Amino acid sequence: MEYVQFIFFSNLCDLFLKQNPVMIKKVLIANRGEIAVRIMRSCREMGIRTVAVFSDADRTSLHVRYADEAYHIGPSPSLDSYLNIEKIIKAAKQSGANAIHPGYGFLSENPEFVKRCGRAGIIFIGPTAHSMSIMGDKITARDAMISAGIPVVPGTREAIHNEKIALKFIQETGFPVIIKAAAGGGGKGMRIVTERSNVTAKLRAARSEALNAFGDDSVYIEKYLESPHHIEFQILADKYGNVVHLFERECSVQRRHQKVIEETPSPFITSELREKMGQIAITAARTVRYEGAGTIEFLVDKDKNFYFLEMNTRLQVEHPITERVVGVDLVKEQIRIARGEKLSFKQKNIRQSGHAIECRIYAEDPGRNFMPSPGLIKHITNPTGLGIRSDGYVYEGYKIPIYYDPLISKLIAWGQNRTEAIKRMKRALYEYKITGVKTTINFLGRIMDIPDFIDGNYDTHFIEKNKDLLMSRDIRCDTLCEDIAIIAAYIDYNDKLAKLQSFNQARSNGNSRWKSYGRKKNHVRI
Amino acid sequence: MALEISLDDRHSKVELVKKDKNFVEILVDGKLYKLDIIMVEDGVYSILHDGKSYNVELIEGETKKQYIVNTLYRSFNIEIVDAETRYQLSRNRNLLGDDQSIISSPMPGKVVKIPVKAGDKVEAGDTVIIISAMKMESEYKTGKSGVIKEIHVSEGDTIEGHQMLITIE
Repeated sequence: MEYVQFIFFSNLCDLFLKQNPVMIKKVLIANRGEIAVRIMRSCREMGIRTVAVFSDADRTSLHVRYADEAYHIGPSPSLDSYLNIEKIIKAAKQSGANAIHPGYGFLSENPEFVKRCGRAGIIFIGPTAHSMSIMGDKITARDAMISAGIPVVPGTREAIHNEKIALKFIQETGFPVIIKAAAGGGGKGMRIVTERSNVTAKLRAARSEALNAFGDDSVYIEKYLESPHHIEFQILADKYGNVVHLFERECSVQRRHQKVIEETPSPFITSELREKMGQIAITAARTVRYEGAGTIEFLVDKDKNFYFLEMNTRLQVEHPITERVVGVDLVKEQIRIARGEKLSFKQKNIRQSGHAIECRIYAEDPGRNFMPSPGLIKHITNPTGLGIRSDGYVYEGYKIPIYYDPLISKLIAWGQNRTEAIKRMKRALYEYKITGVKTTINFLGRIMDIPDFIDGNYDTHFIEKNKDLLMSRDIRCDTLCEDIAIIAAYIDYNDKLAKLQSFNQARSNGNSRWKSYGRKKNHVRI
Repeated sequence: MALEISLDDRHSKVELVKKDKNFVEILVDGKLYKLDIIMVEDGVYSILHDGKSYNVELIEGETKKQYIVNTLYRSFNIEIVDAETRYQLSRNRNLLGDDQSIISSPMPGKVVKIPVKAGDKVEAGDTVIIISAMKMESEYKTGKSGVIKEIHVSEGDTIEGHQMLITIE
């Protein structure tokens, strides 16, 4: 009888939560660019109204046009707008939004922002400030993981302030080692040390770069894994301790520690390893009582030993490949979790179906060492067709501002297997034309042709290793196709000339254009 | 009408032989093409040649004589080389004396720092200006040793692509 009562009670609890979740009627998106648009799409499907915020430079940006409401929050530099907590809270109050989605970058991993939302009575769509703080600092994150028995790359547990501690550690583990900023990310404040004579200089350089980039000169030292794979696991956790993983993303195609291409499933790991790493990812999330969508990043060496690297307490840029292969809308899940709903599925209900690849399209010039290339978009032809998703935000006539990230869009291709996904991506990259600014589209297309990539035989040194092939010019076009291009230009130029001549003739008929304007304007009607 | 057209490094002579609406006969470097060419969208041509279909996009460059031409696989820089263009080219070549060089911006951005001032002596390889764009800072170095003659911008300025920044003598 008691048992029956318990079941009844717990069902009642479930029912209560499912029927009376916290209402989220209007969400402010504290971001810009493609991710702001992507979040708004899911909100719209859920019947939630959306509020955009924008800086001076973003008045004409797509997220402003796509949103139901939009509020100006300040000058173009991020510090005065998208990173200004008070202005964003004010916009939320003005608009009556009762939740904020931070996207990625900007304030998405700032625990102060989470606390400020709480004080203002606004739901932050993401983890608690507490778990964010633990995972945000690489040293406390390592500590927490070590305590939970999760493998980490051998390294110092405390911040290094002098050379002696550094040398002592190096004596124990041996070269090479890597110096990293505790508050770091994006490859800043990192130095690889291979010789004893370099330790002092590299330590100093890393600390000064860390101070400049993050306002904190704490650094730590780790053993440097040669040719590692960068593999991460997507997790989802509700407020009731239910945690699932949504499998891995292989992110080893990197340039300057920035991801360029991601794919899932990873061509490197086995199903046993996948199972094991997935369970460890779940443990890692539980350890910090994580809530929402998050990512556990691992380094995997060539012998398939894996080590916890860090946790990203937000939606990742590369989340769409997981969505495509698992069939879950991660933004909707984030919102449901924030509303206090239980996860609607269990680990056993989800599986990977087919293969997905994402290419990041940047406004950068690969021919000039990937120099940023902001400017006016003159013409776009977007790729479409079966298995293609394009998450972008630029349009013809849009001027990409100089103040923010050079990411223009993300192209996601899905196939029944890896080979089909690669061929489809290649096809889509050929279709994709953007002019006005330099982009990485052709560079990415060449990656799809590199044997090491096709064979799935690559690690984080892939781009360096294949530099010559990647930087070579395309030779796909013969004289015939060049001639066709020349003919098109000839015809177009002659048409332009002909039009100009007839215009000039009309003008030289003895009719002044001012006179004809004067005559016309009295009876012109629109 | 015959025109000289350059495609990247290649120079070709193009001459129209016959044109009847969208049916065109044209010589490219002496080779005769008979094709069906029609503008389908603004700046986009559909070309049928020998049973093959080509979709070619033309985007006007900085002048009306420059184009970026996209075919399915490749993208080309094409320029109509007429008397005026040749004259411009030869003028540009003579504009700068051998004893002067100009540092110009390859991209729009913001001037972060100018570590030199007019009158300073610089060696080849010295950083003369730092530009920030899209969260990345780039240092520009001089390719020649010399004396800074003029600095055309100030720290904090927003600059356009191809703008003159510094003249070195």
